[in-house]
Amino acid sequence: MTQHLGDEAELYPLGVLDDDAARDVERHIAGCTVCAERVTAAQHVATSLAASLPAAEPSSELGRRIGESARPRLQTVAPTRAWDLRGLAIAAVFALAFLVAGWQALALRGRVAADDLALVTVVHSHFNHVSMTPLSPKPVAAKILYARDGSWLYIIADEPAGTVHALARTTAGNTIDLGALAASGRTASLLVRPTQRVRSLSLERDGTPVAAATLVYGGTR
Amino acid sequence: MDALVEDFAARRPGGLEGAYALWSRLFFSVARHALADDARAEDCVHDALLRVWRAPNRFEGNRAMLKAYLVASVRNESLAMLRSQTRRDARELKAVRLVPETEIEPPSVDPVEAQRVRAALAKLPEEQRIAIERAYYGNKTHVQIAEELGIPLGTIKSRIAMAMRKLQAELALTGEGRA
Repeated sequence: MTQHLGDEAELYPLGVLDDDAARDVERHIAGCTVCAERVTAAQHVATSLAASLPAAEPSSELGRRIGESARPRLQTVAPTRAWDLRGLAIAAVFALAFLVAGWQALALRGRVAADDLALVTVVHSHFNHVSMTPLSPKPVAAKILYARDGSWLYIIADEPAGTVHALARTTAGNTIDLGALAASGRTASLLVRPTQRVRSLSLERDGTPVAAATLVYGGTR
Repeated sequence: MDALVEDFAARRPGGLEGAYALWSRLFFSVARHALADDARAEDCVHDALLRVWRAPNRFEGNRAMLKAYLVASVRNESLAMLRSQTRRDARELKAVRLVPETEIEPPSVDPVEAQRVRAALAKLPEEQRIAIERAYYGNKTHVQIAEELGIPLGTIKSRIAMAMRKLQAELALTGEGRA
């Protein structure tokens, strides 16, 4: 971070910048608290300007749509939930070591210690794993661990900065939005406990599929 | 911590529903002003809020910051939709709508805040006031404003930014921001 933003910090909340300039501002403020505070201050001014606009009332249907969209149809578990299970987490690190050796591209080493809940789930389960097939010119490297009985799946992607979203297709033919992967350090992950068995899974960035995989259940390992 | 902000940061559905319940009129008015169409404005608010909700970055801040962040997100989404539509239709952007002073207009989203904003805008040098009114109320990009006024792009950017800083100072002087 060598140089702070110029006038763009004040222009950004007004929406007057073109897309490229706006993305530059977003990238910059992600790592610069000084400029982030300037943008926040300008956002407060923009909110005051918004309050001076002619009032308009949305329909009651909009509130229902938003509420429905916000509720996950599968039970998802935040992978960073703080549980005091350090002993099990350490054991889990050793149990996963054989997998980590093959996953250099995912930079999993720095991630596992923080995901206590995911690790405990893995340790207590029989599971399979699959590398996701990269799609699009800008694919995401990702892997899925999943219980042989279909009771959970854990997605790990080497994509910390982007907006990576997971969509599942169930054996019943339903498409279910699992939500965004939570970023942590250099990777992002999501632990899901589906109520329906997931047959295939895709990751999307800005609506574009970037990786996909089919899950095969059973196995002897 | 504020329960609403805590729920929003933790992505509990009540966080988004609570924010919408508090500020739905503001969100919709922002989108409606840019798009001039109820159905598209509703789609815009829905998409903007869900985009924020599903983003991997966890929100950090207080209630006023959450409100400002969500309003900015709706504003950006609505302008993106407006410009996309304009490109498709190859039509001119809608005529500039300045802050109403003498003509009869529907009530503002927040009449008290609107009065403070009008007073603060009135204190700006004319060239700065024109620039920011065209940017915010006219939904123009800085490039479009520069072309319309025949003024260099850098000058327009400076005028808008300076106007924003002065408004920030003036609004801070006349009262605390209300969440």
